[in-house]
Order: sequence, then C-alpha cells, then structure tokens
Amino acid sequence: MSSDAAPGRPAGTKVFFREAICRALREEMERDERVLLLGQDVAAFGGPYRETAGLFERFGPERVRNTPVAEAGTVGLGVGAAAAGLRPVVCVTYMDFLTLALDPLVNYAAKIRFKTGGQLTAPLVVKTTAGAKGQGVAHSQCLEAWLMNVPGLKVVAPSTPADAYGLLKAAVRDDGPVVFVDHKRLFPTTGELPELDGPLPLGRAAVRRRGADLTVVTYSYMTRVALEAADRLAAGGLSCEVLDLRTLAPLDLEAVCGSAGRTGALLTVEEGQVTCGVGAEVAFRVRERLPHVRVARVGARPAPVSSSPALEAFVVPDAARVAEAAQSLVKAPTAGATPGEAEEVGGA
Amino acid sequence: MIHRLIIPGPIEDVEEFRVLEWHRAEGGSFAAGELIVEVETQKAIIEVRAETAGVLRRILCRAGEWQKLDQPLALISDAPDEAVPAEVPADAPALDVVFDVN
Repeated sequence: MSSDAAPGRPAGTKVFFREAICRALREEMERDERVLLLGQDVAAFGGPYRETAGLFERFGPERVRNTPVAEAGTVGLGVGAAAAGLRPVVCVTYMDFLTLALDPLVNYAAKIRFKTGGQLTAPLVVKTTAGAKGQGVAHSQCLEAWLMNVPGLKVVAPSTPADAYGLLKAAVRDDGPVVFVDHKRLFPTTGELPELDGPLPLGRAAVRRRGADLTVVTYSYMTRVALEAADRLAAGGLSCEVLDLRTLAPLDLEAVCGSAGRTGALLTVEEGQVTCGVGAEVAFRVRERLPHVRVARVGARPAPVSSSPALEAFVVPDAARVAEAAQSLVKAPTAGATPGEAEEVGGA
Repeated sequence: MIHRLIIPGPIEDVEEFRVLEWHRAEGGSFAAGELIVEVETQKAIIEVRAETAGVLRRILCRAGEWQKLDQPLALISDAPDEAVPAEVPADAPALDVVFDVN
C-alpha cells in the first residue's frame, strides 16, 4: 500500500466526471487489494457511464464482478463481504432501485457495528446515480434524504470531478457504510483533478461563491443550478453565497450556520422532494441555533418525474425557480415566513 | 480558401471534448472521406472526416488538449500553397465534415 501523501500530478489535469470516478476506484484498488467492485455492467462493459472503464482489464474477474439485476442480493453480498473483511464498492445503476436494497443497507450494513459492539464493521460503499434526465418516473429520483434518516449511514453527493475523486477515495477508506450518490447530469461535465492524490474528508461543505445577502445551501447537480441562479441574481444586485454540502451525512452544520448567520437568510435547493427533505433538515437545524435566520426551500414539485421533457422540467428545480425563491426570501419581512413553499400538484 | 475545422454544436451531453489523435501532421493533405482527427466526448469517440480534399495547415488544439463545440481545432486550406493568416480568422467558413461515432 502506498501512503496517503502520494506524489501529486501537474496542476490542471482536466477530466470528465466519469474519469474522476474511475481514477479514484483504480487508485484505491491498487492501494488496497481488499477493494473490489460489484454491479451491473461494471466489468467488460466498463460501467453504465463508462465510469469503470479499464478496471476489469486491470484487476480481473476476481475483483471486478458483474452482478445480475438483483439489487437486494448484490448489496447483501457487499455487506457480507464487508463484514468478512473486504472493502466492496457496489454499484447500483439507478438510485430508484436502491429501494430494493434498503434491507441489507439499512437493516444490516448500517446496524452491524452497533449490533456487534464494534466487533464487526461494514466498510462498504454503495455507489449510485440519481437525478432526472429524460428517463421517467422510476429512473429519475433523488432519494438521498431517506438515507440521511438512518443512523450509521454516511451519504456523499459531490458536484465536481475533483470532489467525486476525493470523496470516493474517502468513502472507500472509511469504515462505512457510505452511499456515494452521483448524478446523470454531472457525467457530461468536466473539471480539474486536485493536485494531490489523497482523499477529501467526509463531512465538509465547500463555498462555491461568496455573497452577502443570502446563503444558498445545495449539493450535487443542483450546485450548478444554484450557481446559475446566483449569476442571474447578481445582475439584479442580489449577492448569494452558494454552499455545496458535498456530504449530507454527516452534515457540515458549522459551515452552513457560519454562512447563514452572516447573511441572515437561508435558501435550500435540492432536486428531491422538499417534504422531509435535505432542506427541511438543514433549515430546521440552522433555526435551532439561529432563530433569526429566514429560511425557504426549493425542491421538486410534489409529483413524479415524467418522461415528458416539459413535465420533467416543470417538476425539477431550475435556475429561474431558485432565483425567484431567493428574491422572495430576501423580501420576506421576518423569520418564520416561508415564501416559495411547495405548491400542490394534481390535487387529491 | 481557408476553413476552420470545428465540431459544430449543440450535441446533447457534450460540453467539451478532448483531442485524442491527429491523423495528419501540419502540411499533410487528405482526400475526401479520410480521417483527420479523433476526439473523445464524455460518451463516445468521434472520428472526424473531411467531405472534400484539403490540407491540414495549422493545428490549434493538440492531442490531449480540450476544446468546446464550435471552437476551431485547426485551419485547413483547399490548396497547399495558400497563405494562412497569423490570427485565426473568425469569419473563415467551417470545413464540411462527417462524423463516425464509436
């Protein structure tokens, strides 16, 4: 095994998002022979987004294994392998089908350390892809808020190739279990890798844009949407600070409170549902500490994501909705007002 | 005439691409249908072929470098002895190309 402080690479090594994931996996598999990869199409096919390309050729069928369309069985296999001393990365192509694997993930992986008094751990990473991108009701969901609700689970959701690289490495080295959530709309993006090869610590948010008038807290692909909204708002004289959580569990409440305490207004932006969502949790915990901070949430409208592009765009937040919610929030007279609250869709 | 070699956009899911390999050196000529350059997008490798014969005069984006859609990868001339301007002429027409996507 090499040390954490491996030599760096030249600054400015630009990669596709998928290459950042692939590089992190390859380096961690080289570093630790206990790391193995399981999932649908991860072997010779090279991954649904080509994010495991070349790993089967490099590490062989012992360590890179295709699995059937059987998420519960695959994650269960991962939990068992982790408890027995391996460090599996299990790929679940669509986050929607992580629902099938909640039993091994929630009832076994997240509990094993508690149940055995620390004698066993589950150093398992479940890597899955969330987000709406033209694939309809059951291939579009962002269910990460459900996972935040489970003690013992860590949840990571990066927005850049550099963070995907560093956080995936951290997830592999963590005693887990960690759910690593990427996003369909991040795969076409590019970015520069960090100069150092090491992991990024879990649980630390990153400021993506400095601002004075309000704090926008977001993560994953919505970071890009929030930054676009912040650009538009800046043109109208409103200055947004944009915080990318990067890790949802553990949550970097210090960073969020530091920013929201300064600006006095907090807007949460997520692609998933707002009811019991990431924003609800963040906003409540901020208000526990800082009751004067005005809060509002933006998230998916309460309807499934349609296969129709027009209806998908209606349900999922975009920069215009984020900007509108931000403007309403800063105009709100007092803390406690909740402008931008979710509208009912469809009726009952 | 001087042409710009570009990959015209928009292409779904492509923001930027990386030049993989030039199949002609500067000064090299190519016939209609011949492979000039291969580029890699997030999803695919694209072989860029000329619709008509020409000469690769100046490479603006070398192998391993990145470019955006509609931005020039190279300057192409119809004849080998045409003068190539020092600055990239923004009004030079785009070379007609065909793509093979792998």
